[in-house]
Amino acid sequence: MIRVISDEAYKELEAAVGPDNVSRLPVVLDSYAFQPFENHESMPWCPSPVAVALPSTTEEVSEVIKACNRHGLKHKAFSTGWGMWCGPTTDNVVQIDLRRMNQIVEIDEKNQFAIVEPYVCGAQLQAEAMKVGLNTHIIGAGPNTSPLASATSMYGVGHDGIYMSYSARNVLGLEWVQPTGEVLRLGSPGSDKGWFSGDGPGPSLRGTMRGYTGALGGMGVFTKVALKLFNWPGPPQVKSSGTVVDLTSEIPENIGLYMCFFPNADKLADAYYDIGEAEIGYNSLKVATPAFMMVLAPHLFKKLKDTKNLSRMLGKTMGHLFLMLLAGTSKEDLAHQERVLEAIVDEHDGFILDQKNIPPLKSNFMMNFIRATLPALVFRIGGSFSTALGRNDSLDSQVTWGEAIADIKRGYASKGQIIDDMGDNPYFVPYESNMFAHCEVVYPYDHRNPRYLEGSNNITMDFIIGAVELCMEAGFGTLPPARKILSPLTSNYNYWQKKFSEAFDPDQGSDKGLYTDETEFDFSEIAPERVAKLERLVKERTWTELGPPE
Amino acid sequence: MALEDYRRDIEGCSRCSSCKWVPYNQIKSWRFSKNCPSIYRHNFHTYSGSGRMVIGLSLLEGRVELDETVAEIIYKCQLCGACDSACKTYRDDIDISEVLLELRAYCVEQGELLIEHMAMIDALKREGNTLGEPKAQRGDWAEGLDVKDVNAETCDVLFHAGCRYSYDRDARQTARGHVQLMRSAGMGVGIAGKEESCCGGRAYELGYRGEAANYADDVLSLVKSSGAKTLVTACADCYSHFQYVYPKMGKELPVEILHVSQVTEKLLDSGKLRFRRKLPLSVTYHDPCHLGRKGEPFAGVWKGDKLDRPMNLKRSGRKGVYDAPRNVIDEIPGLELTEMERIREYAWCCGAGGGVLEAFEDFSASTTAERIAEALATGAEALVTSCPWCLRVFKDAVEETSACIAVYDLTDLALMSAGIAQPAAV
Repeated sequence: MIRVISDEAYKELEAAVGPDNVSRLPVVLDSYAFQPFENHESMPWCPSPVAVALPSTTEEVSEVIKACNRHGLKHKAFSTGWGMWCGPTTDNVVQIDLRRMNQIVEIDEKNQFAIVEPYVCGAQLQAEAMKVGLNTHIIGAGPNTSPLASATSMYGVGHDGIYMSYSARNVLGLEWVQPTGEVLRLGSPGSDKGWFSGDGPGPSLRGTMRGYTGALGGMGVFTKVALKLFNWPGPPQVKSSGTVVDLTSEIPENIGLYMCFFPNADKLADAYYDIGEAEIGYNSLKVATPAFMMVLAPHLFKKLKDTKNLSRMLGKTMGHLFLMLLAGTSKEDLAHQERVLEAIVDEHDGFILDQKNIPPLKSNFMMNFIRATLPALVFRIGGSFSTALGRNDSLDSQVTWGEAIADIKRGYASKGQIIDDMGDNPYFVPYESNMFAHCEVVYPYDHRNPRYLEGSNNITMDFIIGAVELCMEAGFGTLPPARKILSPLTSNYNYWQKKFSEAFDPDQGSDKGLYTDETEFDFSEIAPERVAKLERLVKERTWTELGPPE
Repeated sequence: MALEDYRRDIEGCSRCSSCKWVPYNQIKSWRFSKNCPSIYRHNFHTYSGSGRMVIGLSLLEGRVELDETVAEIIYKCQLCGACDSACKTYRDDIDISEVLLELRAYCVEQGELLIEHMAMIDALKREGNTLGEPKAQRGDWAEGLDVKDVNAETCDVLFHAGCRYSYDRDARQTARGHVQLMRSAGMGVGIAGKEESCCGGRAYELGYRGEAANYADDVLSLVKSSGAKTLVTACADCYSHFQYVYPKMGKELPVEILHVSQVTEKLLDSGKLRFRRKLPLSVTYHDPCHLGRKGEPFAGVWKGDKLDRPMNLKRSGRKGVYDAPRNVIDEIPGLELTEMERIREYAWCCGAGGGVLEAFEDFSASTTAERIAEALATGAEALVTSCPWCLRVFKDAVEETSACIAVYDLTDLALMSAGIAQPAAV
């Protein structure tokens, strides 16, 4: 059934943002209903909003929300809008596109933070920060995404995590239009003391604001955030030609890039721990060797991937490596960090391929790495991809998981239900002194081909079962069917999320489809023995009101 | 090809919004980081490259009906191709530019036409040019020039002036200059004068495929009868259509096709042209979309899965004409080039293309103003370009706003430095 917004409600939206900045034209609404990325269930559409509003100020956002509440409409905001989690999950939603709130309000060079609005993207903020010797955390999804969105509403890991942690850690103040339309400032701006501290003076509600994952648009709208910035010892602008694959950049003498290989996963993990203790590293990413070929030369990859024993050879001899970018405050500092890295890698029986000996690679990788531009190249192999796990845990356990999930992937690849990428292919980044790591296992496919989609439901379930078996966080926790299964196994987190939601959003005006909703998982295509296995694991490991299972 | 033939391209969009930004590694500031004039102006996602692809899918799936409003959104786009180039930094299997063209052809097929474009097409049919000027006056720009008339004799090099250079009073002197420059180097240049016809490219861009094909036939027949081995044009639009659209329509011109900036570069390289006079001027260069990313020659159609398309058949925009004009600037003594932030395949559009100048004047002007602002930000004294359409809108904008920057056709600077003519400038 096609829902429409009443004339009265629409007029109130017009009054809030101006007639040019709201639309209910079907052609406009459809462009907001198109959300194919990570949208397995209804590719490529999500429910169409009943209107789209483009506010330009916090006051306008507040007015839009209040108008929605008066008329029983839900609201859902997005910043840069990539992924199915940005679109409505139900009917009667007004999509708030924050595109016009696009200002870098301030870069405080001395105190190393920036205040940004929702539609500032990572590349913009980084470009401006670098001019004053600073840098910003960019998430692995890429520089097209909004730093505000990842800081307030969703995950937020990136391969600068070794130096800049992850998004939730970098919030120093926040402006939040709550689901009631009231405006609340958190951290030091909450008591008009400037934007320097997320924990006050003023209300410190960082946990409430986003919890671990973020509310994915289910808890009002975030309109400004102060983000911690970090030292950038490179030039104000890295001189480059080309774009991504053909990129070449001038490399500063105090920056180095290294590929570190290890004989096994344990040695790699131990090296990461030591590097954390040594406090070196500016960017780092554990990668699978075939992944390089897959993103940079997909045609060659396709030709080679069926070569007998190639996958085994790459796995055995080059299967355990990470990329490490070191940035010294001077050439001498880089030399010192380099010596430390060499000693650690050597101690763990690894070896280093210093990319200064491969100038074209280093010239290409440095800026691609710093600006996080490479991951989206995964689209090249199959037209789409998804990721499994997507959670943070101790570094050791993430290594274990990466290996386990590779086995699951192989099964689906052999049946042709995902593209064989010759390995675990993790997006694996360490953070917080390398005690923790984030691991998302990438699996490419072509979402336009029904053959691949047939496997997507099964693979999600297999990953969940695998994670539960290993006592890992399973990821997918934002999907309503997975939430229903996983919440009882992990501290009943959704029970508490609902409590927060009820307290802050008494009328349930925000679209909570990806925050607290629970639905039944469709087991119809899942083999009975696997369903039984999951049921057994759930029974064994479900939390009660008294706490965790024994 | 039809819209349906691009369904896989459309469905391949992940809505990452890369089509809205300068390729990320080339973002140098907050201010000049956007690449799409249409969404920059209209803000709803619908106006972006991705949003326009969704329009295609909505039409194909019957979710939306084509009407006046939908057609207007489709035509509020300069077809500058920046979305396509940006998308292709990541994707090998999506041709946004082709989808945008198919949407327009679909509008024409369905009779959803813009009045302003119908007037342009009527003028084209009546007078053989997009400006509605008398056909009989098309060759007036060359009056008194020592140049061959290809209607009467053969030539080595056929110069195609294009509609704008032929009729725009400010540009006519430059058109003469192009010929003078080639003649001074001893090239046997011929022109068709009043028998020259529009390249038909603008008709193609508006979706009028039949008219476009007719004009391509006219040009093809003229080129063949001229005996020329080389076709030179100074118009970036014509250049793009000769290089890309004609062969795509199966009407490849059997000659070498050069833009006048490429000819100038060749003449410099061979020593047949020398710049002697110093021009102490700081300049910045605007890459015309049709000479740059859309000037990339047609490489062929891949009929299989585009995920398997050979890279040489992928139109990335990187193989456009970027270096020739810069090399010419570099050779002119005294000129100091300061680049804008958005250059080459990620250059910001001048605002004139795709029928926007004729149908949506305000939108065109705001796009132009954005480029002028970027040029001013370099601190350059002059904005140089190699396309008469860009030149026109830049000159008008500078005159209207009294912006403190001169606007030059590259050839005018070359002529001045070579001592062949005085430049015409704002």
